[in-house]
Order: sequence, then structure tokens, then C-alpha cells
Amino acid sequence: MRRRRFLAAAGGSLALSTAGCQGLLQSETTRTPPLVENRPDAVYVPSHIEGMEMVGTETSGRYRFALSYSFPHRFWLVTSDRVRKVDIGDEHSVHLMLSAWDTETETVIPTSSAAVTVTRDGDTVLSDRRLWSMLSQNMGVHFGDNVALDGDGTYEVRVNFGPVETRRAGALADALDDQVEATLSLAFSQATLDGVSYERLPDRQGQRDAEAPMGMLGERLPTGQVPPMAQLPGTVRGDVRETATGDAHVVVTTLSAPPAGIDGDGTYLAVSARTPYNRYPLPFMSLSATLTRRGETIASSDLTATLEPDLGYHYGAVVDSVESGDTLDLTVAAPPQIARHEGYETAFVGMDAVSLTL
Amino acid sequence: MNPSRNGGVSRRAFVKSAVAIGGTAALAACTSREQPALQTGPDDPATLPTRQHAWNDSLRTDDHGNDVPPRHHAFVQFDVTETPPSDADRSAVETALRSVERAYPHSNEGLLMTVGYSPSYFSRFGSALPDSVDLPEPQALAPFESPEPETADMGVHIASDYGSVVLGVEQALRGEREQLNGVSVSAFPETLTRTERRTGFIGEGLPADHQDVEGIPDSDPVPEDAPLYMGFESGFSKSQASEDRVTISDGPFAGGTTQQLSKIRLDLQQWYEQDDRYHRVATMFCPAHAEAGTVEGAGQNLGDSNQVAERGCPAHAGADAEAGVVGHAQKSARARRDGEPLILRRDFDSTDDGQATVHFLSLQERIGDFVATRSLMNGSDLAEDGAVGQRTNNGILQYMTVERRGNYLVPPRSHRALPTPNPA
Repeated sequence: MRRRRFLAAAGGSLALSTAGCQGLLQSETTRTPPLVENRPDAVYVPSHIEGMEMVGTETSGRYRFALSYSFPHRFWLVTSDRVRKVDIGDEHSVHLMLSAWDTETETVIPTSSAAVTVTRDGDTVLSDRRLWSMLSQNMGVHFGDNVALDGDGTYEVRVNFGPVETRRAGALADALDDQVEATLSLAFSQATLDGVSYERLPDRQGQRDAEAPMGMLGERLPTGQVPPMAQLPGTVRGDVRETATGDAHVVVTTLSAPPAGIDGDGTYLAVSARTPYNRYPLPFMSLSATLTRRGETIASSDLTATLEPDLGYHYGAVVDSVESGDTLDLTVAAPPQIARHEGYETAFVGMDAVSLTL
Repeated sequence: MNPSRNGGVSRRAFVKSAVAIGGTAALAACTSREQPALQTGPDDPATLPTRQHAWNDSLRTDDHGNDVPPRHHAFVQFDVTETPPSDADRSAVETALRSVERAYPHSNEGLLMTVGYSPSYFSRFGSALPDSVDLPEPQALAPFESPEPETADMGVHIASDYGSVVLGVEQALRGEREQLNGVSVSAFPETLTRTERRTGFIGEGLPADHQDVEGIPDSDPVPEDAPLYMGFESGFSKSQASEDRVTISDGPFAGGTTQQLSKIRLDLQQWYEQDDRYHRVATMFCPAHAEAGTVEGAGQNLGDSNQVAERGCPAHAGADAEAGVVGHAQKSARARRDGEPLILRRDFDSTDDGQATVHFLSLQERIGDFVATRSLMNGSDLAEDGAVGQRTNNGILQYMTVERRGNYLVPPRSHRALPTPNPA
């Protein structure tokens, strides 16, 4: 409702308001270049890359939060296998981003209930906005949305977070099951936002590659990357990255016993689906697995999304045993239902069954 | 000037804001705009239903046989400051209630009302409620919500198609009116003090007229034909429990019911500006509805059923969650006993505090019936393995924040005035 009032108020001073709108439109247009033509069904270099302005960090219980913002920008939401583009609204002033991680294990949390309420001088500017779980090439997994602030000033941002719905295991087995609040102060100015780095990528856009993680606050904050394939715990059994995985890199490892917090006796089968290049986890998938040995099905199970510090976010199940030469068939009932920044919206959507020889 | 418009404020918009604001001046202005020509109510209270919550026979029904709720609502909360309440106060409360019932007919155009009492009210007595009444303290019903429990002792739900009737009855009970509709009225005793009031509306056109609130984007997205902010019909008769189902069957409060009221904030910016219609239909109803284009407009084409059971949606909630999205009605329809829903919704939308709000009011035999329904509506079971989050793509939880919750016992009419836990 604020925007309309602003426009009504500005109507009395036509020259001024027109000048202001032109400035706004110019900067938005130049910062929203056309989408890359002929985007591949894979991770690709976006039309441009944006920096971000760090607002600050705050701790509540075991949760630690970092709040940052960038220019409002288009992103994509996913419902089943349908992807829809979300355009920037006239009223939007920033793309607000919240990163969250566990202080003890430094595990970044990709999915949870994450709501922000923004006030200024006691007036509510944004009430209980549920931020989307999002994936960005340089920002990694975070919670974000385009939001409307009310111009330059100091805002209070109240974060209501948790619990984490994903099954937790290992050193997180009994953690992150509470709901916490944290408050951060956001000193916003348009001038600061305008100073955030912005770079068009005319020579590289559309190529099958990705911008590197930016490493927030230098390297002091965790980036949310899962371990490199070779550093995954257990016996790494194989990997696949092809058209059928929608360019996702899917790595399979097995542990001789399930991590703490997971019931069952036997071998723990962990499937780590991650982005190529940057190794970000791909949450909100439905994955099921069938294990075949010498032509005989020996296990068939839905895999449960699990957050475990050493494996990172993955999909897992307990099976009796896994042997070299077994065949693992993975079926995807839903691709990652996480919102995507540009460069990720065409990847990890059309995902078919894949088969690996372990 | 268009007779329905005055100074750019439509009549129904004005009436709603008058109900929200309350007070004598609002009532005077509201009455002069609405000018209801209503009969008075019955002189003999014995002609009124023994169940306070027996409204359905007095409501209008639409072309499909759905009960149409009154358009204007107030839920007024009182504290009872005398412990235990005296017989004199009990008598004064009953006299006041009967007086307003004599002023208006028992109908959607006249006055429909219930009076309920909270656990904190009953806690003042030395004895507990009988086992036949399930009335726990209100609680958080999902791991991701943290509502404030309502603490008022008494809640009076006042409903009418006329905002002036709602306002007038509230004022009469508070001693600000001597007459209503030409009938002398009396007030609650001074030992009852008003603590809070919730107001609202439901019905075609009203949400569209009141979308200039926080939580609704500037683009005026709420359709003109929608009875609620989220843009779709609700209250299909096949999704509603019958009044018999929600009635307490034995014990001293037989003929009564329990009432649950949640104050829920809506943030519909994403709903209207980022989600598409496919997503809205899939998450409000069921993915099968979105695939088949089952819902036209606000859903008036659906008849007396949201078509969720007909399309087998409850049974494939798990499979749909695995495929990435599950519907609100689909999840809720899993809560059935002998094939019938457990709760009777009498909710309404609101502009209270300048924010888009739902006052989700439901009646059920036991509060546990609501808890069970809400638990299935949460779909936390579906979020465990599937691709849906605890809020994302999981019905309409993404857009809702439960701020307060209260539980009340609505006694039968015979015990509606400051009852003891075991009235004779």
C-alpha cells in the first residue's frame, strides 16, 4: 500500500516525480539485461553478476544468521516440474537475503521456515514474509525475496527461524529442532545499494559454467558447499552428471553404519546431489533408490533428505549391504523445489531416472 | 451520485470500516447508510434453538445448497472480574442476551450469536469441567508456529448481514444503548469488562473492497467475486461438519459445542504476484484441480463440494507431496470421522490492525477434533520425505502466520450465562 501512497503524493510535483522515476527505471533496466538466448538445460553463466551488501550477523542458540541485500532481481520458483519466472515489482527496493548455519558444525541450513518482519520507527514495512529457499551461483543456498523498503533509513529486521524440517543426523542429530528469533539492524541507503558491484558478462553468458562462490565477509562465513566427492566420508561408490540428472552432479557414498540419529542396522546409502562447479546441495527433491545385485532387487526405498555435517545435505536410507558391482537405480519424483537465481533455472528440472554401477 | 457510493467509499466498504472502528459515531453513520428494515425478534426465547450454535437453519443458502454465512462479524472478548460470579450477575448476563435477541430476528439478516467461555474462566472454580467437555488451554499446533494464547474469559461472537446490527448489539451489551430496533435492551453487569474485539467480514465483494491493507500487494489483486482474501470460495457444504457432528452429546453441557479461534496474519504478496494460478489452485485445493482446470474464477462452479474427495485427492496426498506440491483442502480432507468432516468453519477475514487477517473460527465437539484436523492440515508428515517444505508448496502455510489462538466452550443456551463447570 505504500507505493500507491507515494505515487499519489508525488503526483503534485510532476517534474520531480518524473525525474525520480526515470532514474529508477534506468537503473532497473540496465541492471536487468535480457535473458540469455537459447539457455541450455544445464547450469549456465548468467547475463550478469551482482555483489551484495552485508548487513550483519547475529546468533540465537545454535543458529547463526547473516543478513545481506543486493539489487532486486528476477528469480524462478518451482512447483513440481513447472518453473515460473518472478519479475521485479515496481515497489521492490532490494533483494533481501538471509543465510543461516549451525554455529558448532558450521553446516549451512538450506531449508527451514524463515520469516522476516521489517519495521522502521515502530511502523511495519514487511510483516512475516516467508523467504524462499534459494540457490544462487555466487551466494549459494540462502533464503531470499525481493522486498519493498521505504527509502533510506535504519530498519529493524526480526528473523523468525526454525525448526529445520529436514532430518538431522550426526553431530546435528539433536540440534536445530527449535524455533528462534534474532533481530538485526539494517541501515539502508540507495547510494550504498547503487555502489554494490554489478557486472555484465557479455562474453561468457550462456556458457555451461558458473560464477564462483563469493565467500561472504571474506572467508569467515561458511559458503554452504558440500564436500568434494573425494572428501565425502565412507566409501565413495560412483557419480553421475548427465542430461538425465539435469546437469546435477550426483555422488553416491556408503557408510558402514548410519550416522547418529538415524534408526536401523546396516549400510547407510547416501546420495549427494549437488550443483556442478560450486558444489551447492540440491534440496527439496524426491528421490527413491533401487539396489540390484546380480539381477535381483535387494533393496528399494525412498531416500530421506538429511542434514549431516560431514556428508552435508543429502538423501539417505539404511540398506542391508552394498557391494561393488551392485546397480543403483535412482528415480526422481520431484526435481529440487528450491527457487533459483539466474543461471540455475533451466538446470535440475527435467530429471529422469539414472543408473549407476557401484 | 451513484446511490451506493458516497465520497468514493462504497457502502459495503464503509460499513466494514465502521464495524472495525466501532463506537457510537460509527454505529450512527453505519445505520444511516444501511437503513435495515428488520422485524424484531421473538418475545418468547423458547422459540429459539436450544443450541447456541444452531445457525444453519437461519442462514440463506446459495444455488448449490451451501449455507451462506452472515457478512459482518465481531468477536468481542470480556474478562469476568468477579470470582466466582454471583447469581445476580448470571441473571444480568442472561437478561442482556435475551434483550438483544428480542431486538432482531434469528437470521442472517438479523442477529446470530454465541457466547463461550475459556479455560481461564473455568479455572476460577474449585472443580474441573466434566470429562464430556474437551477444552484444553490453547497451544501451538505446529513446530513452526508460536501463537500467543488468548487469555480472555468470555467470547461473544456476533454476526449479521448488517454491520449496524453487529455494532448495535456489541454496544447494547456494553451499556451504550438503551434501545435496538425499537426494543429496550440491557447491558452486561459491570463485572464484565471488554478486553479485545475482533471484527471482520466474509462474502463476495467484501475482501476486494478492503484490500488496501498490509499483506495485500498494491495491484488490487483480490477478485471482486471472491468471498475471502485468498480469492477462492470456502464453506462448501460437503467440507463442513454438520451442527449435529460438532455438538457435545452428553454431560451437563450436552447441546453445546467447543469453539476455537485463531488470529492468522496473511502475507499475500507472493501469492498474488509471484505464484501463478496453477500454483494457487494446486496449493489451495489439490494438484489434480490445477491439472484439470477444475476451478473457474473463485470456484463458484464447484457446487456444494470442493471436489477434493471426488477426485481422490486425500488418498494421493503422499504421492502429490512426492511430486512436489500438495493442496490445503487435500490435506484437510484427510480429517474425517465416518466420512464426515470434524469441524464446522465459521471464519471471516479482517482488516484488524490494518493488516490482512483471517479470524479462523471453528466449531467442533472436542477441541481435539480441531487439533487433529490442524495436524493433518500442517502436512508435516508429507514434508518428511517429500519435496514439499514445512511451508513451501505445502498447502497455503507459506502465506500464514498464526498470531493468537483461543479455545472456548459454547454451552447450550440454558447454561450460556456465566456457567459453573457442572451446572445442574
